[in-house]
Amino acid sequence: MTPPHGAAAHEADLDRKQVVAAARAVILIGNPNVGKSVLFGALTGKYVTVSNYPGTTVEVTRGSATIEGHPWHVMDTPGTNNLLPMSEDEQVTRNILLSERGYVALQVCDAKNLRRGLLLSLQLAEGGVPFALALNMADEAASRGIAIDAEQLSRELGVDVVPTVAVQRQGVGMLQARLAHARSSPLRVRYDAAIEEALAVIEPLMPPGGIGPRALAVMALAGDESLRAHLAGHLTEPELGRIDVVRRALAARYPESLRYVIARQRLAAADKLHDAVVTRGGASVTSGLGRKLGTWSTHPLWGIPVLAAVLWAAYQFVGVLGAKTLVDFMENTVFGEWIVPWAERVVRWAVPWDGLERFLVGPVGVARIEHGGFLIGKYGIISMGLAYGVAIVLPIVTTFFIAFSILEDSGYLPRLAVMVNKVFKRMGLNGKAVLPMVLGLGCDTMATMTARIMETRKERVIVTLLLALGVPCSAQLAVILAMTAGLSRAAILWFAGTILLVIFLVGWLAAKVLPGRGSDFLLELPPLRVPQLSNIAVKTLARIEWYLREALPLFIVGTLILWSLDRFGGLAVLERAAAPVVVGLLQLPKEAAAAFILGFLRRDYAAAGLFKHFQPYMQAGTMTWDMEVQVTVALVTITLFIPCIANFFMILKERGWKTGAGMMAFILPFAFAVGAGVNQLMRLFH
Amino acid sequence: MSAVAHREESCPLCGTAFDTEGQGCRPSCPMSRGCSVVCCPSCGYSFPQETGLAAGLRRLLDRLKKDRRGNPT
Repeated sequence: MTPPHGAAAHEADLDRKQVVAAARAVILIGNPNVGKSVLFGALTGKYVTVSNYPGTTVEVTRGSATIEGHPWHVMDTPGTNNLLPMSEDEQVTRNILLSERGYVALQVCDAKNLRRGLLLSLQLAEGGVPFALALNMADEAASRGIAIDAEQLSRELGVDVVPTVAVQRQGVGMLQARLAHARSSPLRVRYDAAIEEALAVIEPLMPPGGIGPRALAVMALAGDESLRAHLAGHLTEPELGRIDVVRRALAARYPESLRYVIARQRLAAADKLHDAVVTRGGASVTSGLGRKLGTWSTHPLWGIPVLAAVLWAAYQFVGVLGAKTLVDFMENTVFGEWIVPWAERVVRWAVPWDGLERFLVGPVGVARIEHGGFLIGKYGIISMGLAYGVAIVLPIVTTFFIAFSILEDSGYLPRLAVMVNKVFKRMGLNGKAVLPMVLGLGCDTMATMTARIMETRKERVIVTLLLALGVPCSAQLAVILAMTAGLSRAAILWFAGTILLVIFLVGWLAAKVLPGRGSDFLLELPPLRVPQLSNIAVKTLARIEWYLREALPLFIVGTLILWSLDRFGGLAVLERAAAPVVVGLLQLPKEAAAAFILGFLRRDYAAAGLFKHFQPYMQAGTMTWDMEVQVTVALVTITLFIPCIANFFMILKERGWKTGAGMMAFILPFAFAVGAGVNQLMRLFH
Repeated sequence: MSAVAHREESCPLCGTAFDTEGQGCRPSCPMSRGCSVVCCPSCGYSFPQETGLAAGLRRLLDRLKKDRRGNPT
């Protein structure tokens, strides 16, 4: 960057001097993407300086403003969700508040996401920081039917609250007027008795600073390592030792980390405050029953029957209605009686050359399963590729997407994440890892990418491995669910138990082997609500469109590969080559080798092949135990496979060739080994 | 190239409202061309954007809702 010269440079220098010389200072603080910078611009005009915060690459913007006739120094800080820092940006913001003196804070909050903003307000209140709250984007919140009682919020917080629309400068004048009289909030989050007792011991030890002693004590209790240097500079060794003793004693009382316990209790306080001031469409955001259900669904004990009920309903809807009734209709009536015969007739009528006709739809009078026609045949594009994608998988994924949209629209999914958090902690992961796992139910490939939200490399590698190994995407899960509908309870338990056990064991082992540290989890819970029919319809349609666009081309490519292999004798060679594993080790029919080839393209395609193979027996209710073992073994092996080819490339891209290749080298033999183990055990214990 | 439309979305998992710019599938995914999946910057959850038929259905439902509100019978 060219340094400023002449008049401009002089002006910039003057401005810097003015900024430094201003008697009063305001620090803008807020969550990311709440319009803080726009408000900063509205307050300061064009003269600003941007510099890196000392020792970091994080930029801090400074400027000056005239408020109530007096010059003010204005500082914009990086967006933060928490004064207990989880990233360098958040640490810079906290350190600014800690090191500056005599300032007031202007908290900018997105009125559409008030709960998130209130979490920060409660921390500013706890720190005794004088502040005013700007409810920015108030117009957008209103257009969504979100009404915030600003006066009530002001009374509850004990500070000024001003609705603003920063991009239109609405409310900026009033905000400036209120800033001059900003005051500390008397509101304090009351933690449980044990935490309050610990706070009472260490609060008097805390040094004075921009953030008050209670907030510093909470940070110290939560084990904020980034605060240690600050404390070490102000406290004696015995005082630091005293804090450690109190902290260790308190930590021993909770199964979760203190950071998590404190965040959860603070979140409950923010929820209460939020519900007291927000109404949506004239009604309270959460009804009494909704709140109770919401509490039950995250409870470690009561959450289990809720989850069981949800799974049972999903199973009935997807496994029975989708996989039996709808697939039967689509496959036998729509494809079997209409589309395939019609396509065959059109080709035989339109193609004048006998050789080409036979190539496309096979010889006349031979059943399509017996010949290798390109469009209609054993591996025909229409009779296999389209039929698998549209007649078998589509009805199943449609019912699953409906069920998934209901769970999503009701607000149950994040509650599920909270409930399974404890299990993941035992695997060395935190609940934040649950999100990519839940997301894996949408698209494993995207989930692999968003494993970036994990803080440590250790977590990112574990999450990527688990996603590739055991979490099927929604389309794949739907077909797997449908397959289990034809199995006995014992076989279902073998399948589900094996997958859960594998995920748990591999995650646990990976956490032991890989270096690095775990971190904590905080997820804001939206209110539990009755799902809206229109939302479910639109979300389901969006997912079906995405599925058809993403999966169907791969189904066609897979069919082409199979058709080519079959046509040129490669399939028989592959089946023979794979026989020692497929037939010998897994005791599956030799045709299952084709399913594993397809499994590399997409797991659901492979599962659809198996579904097709065993469907007549499932529908007739004539599945023998031997067949059930075969289906379970094949499902276990395919589920543990790499989800799809896109996911494979994403792993290589995101984690690098070395880690990616290492994962593949582990996953493939591991999937077959587990399949073989399940085969032996199921036969042994029957 | 991801097919994400630039507009504001609300995360179905955590409720965060966010701008979709830069939140689409990255080119590192071989299926990103034409992919309408967006990722929430707050919690990382991803979901397909309502485009094409779904967007049409949403517009239709919104219009019906508006009409019903306008003509209470």
